[in-house]
Amino acid sequence: MNSHERIDAAVALEIPDRVPLAPLLDHWAATYCGITNAVLMSDGEKRIQAVIKTATDFHWDMTYVADTAIPGLLKLGVPAKLKLPGEDLPENSTHQFEEKAYMNVEDYDVLISEGLIPFLATVMSRIYPDMTIESALIDLAAVSAEITSHLNRVKEAGMVPATGFMLLGTALEFLSYARGITNAFMDIRRYPEKIRAAAKRYREDILPLALDAVRQNGVKRIFIGLSRSSPTFIPPKVFADLCLPDLEFFTHRIIEEGITPLFHCDTDWTKCLHFFARFPRARCIMELDSFTDIFNAKKVLGDTMVIKGDVPSTLTAGDSKQEVLDYCKRLIKEIGKGGGFILSTGCSIPNNAKPENISAMTEAIEEWGYYS
Amino acid sequence: MGLDNDKNLRGLAKAFADLKEEETYEILERCVAGNTPSLQIIHHLSAGMDEVGRLYKEGDYYLSELVFSGEIFKNAVARIKPLIEAAGCSKSSGTLIMGTVAGDIHDLGKNIVITLLTCAGFEVIDLGVDVPGEMFVETVKASGAPLVGLSTLLTTSFSSMQDIINALTKAGLRGKVKIMIGGSSTSERLKEQIGADYYGRDATDAVTIAKQIFR
Repeated sequence: MNSHERIDAAVALEIPDRVPLAPLLDHWAATYCGITNAVLMSDGEKRIQAVIKTATDFHWDMTYVADTAIPGLLKLGVPAKLKLPGEDLPENSTHQFEEKAYMNVEDYDVLISEGLIPFLATVMSRIYPDMTIESALIDLAAVSAEITSHLNRVKEAGMVPATGFMLLGTALEFLSYARGITNAFMDIRRYPEKIRAAAKRYREDILPLALDAVRQNGVKRIFIGLSRSSPTFIPPKVFADLCLPDLEFFTHRIIEEGITPLFHCDTDWTKCLHFFARFPRARCIMELDSFTDIFNAKKVLGDTMVIKGDVPSTLTAGDSKQEVLDYCKRLIKEIGKGGGFILSTGCSIPNNAKPENISAMTEAIEEWGYYS
Repeated sequence: MGLDNDKNLRGLAKAFADLKEEETYEILERCVAGNTPSLQIIHHLSAGMDEVGRLYKEGDYYLSELVFSGEIFKNAVARIKPLIEAAGCSKSSGTLIMGTVAGDIHDLGKNIVITLLTCAGFEVIDLGVDVPGEMFVETVKASGAPLVGLSTLLTTSFSSMQDIINALTKAGLRGKVKIMIGGSSTSERLKEQIGADYYGRDATDAVTIAKQIFR
C-alpha cells in the first residue's frame, strides 16, 4: 500500500498493511531543520522545504503543512491578536495569541443579523487597526494560493496532506477568542440565547468557505478544532446545548460532500466522547492530544471512527527514546488492534522534542506496526 | 438581624455555590440592608466558594463554572468593600507571588488560580506573563512573600522555570520561599526535576498549598 491507500483504509476502518504514521507538525520543522521559528513563519518556501524534509526523513504517511505556523492563516482565522516570533517574541518562540475582549456583547447581534463577514470586519478592525475587508481578502487569496501549492508539494513528495481547510471549531470556540475566554464563560450563563443564535449564523456562513477551499485544493479532509468546548472547560450539557448543533451541522454537510471531518480534540474529551458515536461509521477521524484517555476512546468510538494519537509532548520533549518506544508499542498493540488507528503525536510536536524520540515513532511502526 | 440574618447568610452561600448570580446579589443586598457584619458576609461567600471548589474537584463543576464563580465573588466583594474597610477588617491571609514564566504569555490558568486565591483571602502579587527570574527575585526581596507560583502551558518553558528557581537560589532567597508550579504541561515529575516544592494539578490545589504554607 502507498500512504494514500494506507490512510484511506484506516479511515474506512479496514485493516491496512501497517499502522499509518502521521505526527502533527508545525514549529518543530524549524527545530529539526535548523532554521528559526521566525523564518519558518515568515518564509513560505523555507517552511514547506522544512515540512517536506522532516516528514520525508521520518517516513510519515501524512503531514500537515505547518498550517498552524502560517501567520496569514492565523491572523485571518483567529479573532485574537497574533504575536509572532522575530517581531513580538524571541525568534525561536512559538507564536502566541494575546486574548483581550475585542468583541462586545452587542457584537453578537452583528453576527446574528448581518453575518460572519460584517462581524469579522467589526472585530478585526479592533484587533488590527490597519486591516480592511479589502486587504483581508487579498491576504486570504494569497494564503490560499500558497497553501494549495504547498499541499501539492506534499503530494508530489509521495505523502498525504492532512487537511484541506482548518475550521477553528464550534462557534463558542471562535467567539471565545474574540470575547476573551473569561467573558465567553460568563456569556454562557448570561446570554445563552445569543450564543445559540450566533452559532447558527456562524456555522452557516463559515462552512461554505471550508467546502470551497477543499474543492479547489482537492485535499478531502477538513480539520475541526475542538478545545475550549471540551469538558475540561464546559459541562457536557452545555456542550450538547451550545456546541453539538455546530458539530452535527459541520460533520453531516462535510460527509455529504464526500469529505472527511477530522476532529482535533485538545484537552480531555473523555466525558463527551459518546457524542461523537452518533456520526456515520468509517467517515471521520478522531485526533487526540494525550489528555483524553485514548484507550477509553477506542472502546467508545473504535467502531465508529479511526483514532489518531497521541504520544504526549512531555514524552517527546522530556523522556527517553525507550519510553517513547514503549508507549508507541502499547498504542499500536491496543489501539491499533484490528485497524482503526493512526499513530501520531498528541497535538503538535513540541519545539524542544528530541529528534531521537520522533525517530522512535517511526522505529515503533517498523517493529510492531505491520498487520501481517 | 437574628433569624433573618442567619437565613440570608445561609441563602447567600447556597445561591453562590449554585452559581445563581442574580439571587446571590439580591441576598447580598438584603444582608447589607440588614447591617449584617461584613466579615460574616465574607465568611459565607468563602463557604460558598469552598463548595464550588469541592464540586469542581468532584467533577460536578467545570472550569467555566470556576471562572464564573470567581467573577461573582469579585463583584460581591467589590459591593461590600467599603463596609470591610470601614470595619477595619481587611487583613489578608497572606501574600504570595504569581507569574507565567518567561517565554510564555498564556494567562488563563494563572488568572484562575489568582481568582481562587483571592477568594480564599490571600493577597496575590500578579507579575503577569513572560516573567523572567530577576523579576521574581526583585519581588520576593521587596515583598518578603514566602510563596511563589510559576505557571506555564508550554513544555518549552520548563527551562524558564528552572532558570527562575536558579535565580532565586543565586540571590540567596531559595531557603526563604516555597515554589509551586502548575499548568497543563507540568507534573509531579517536573517538580522533582527542577527542584520546586509543590505541584498543583488544578487551581484548587494552589489554594490548598497556600493554606498549608500560611497555616
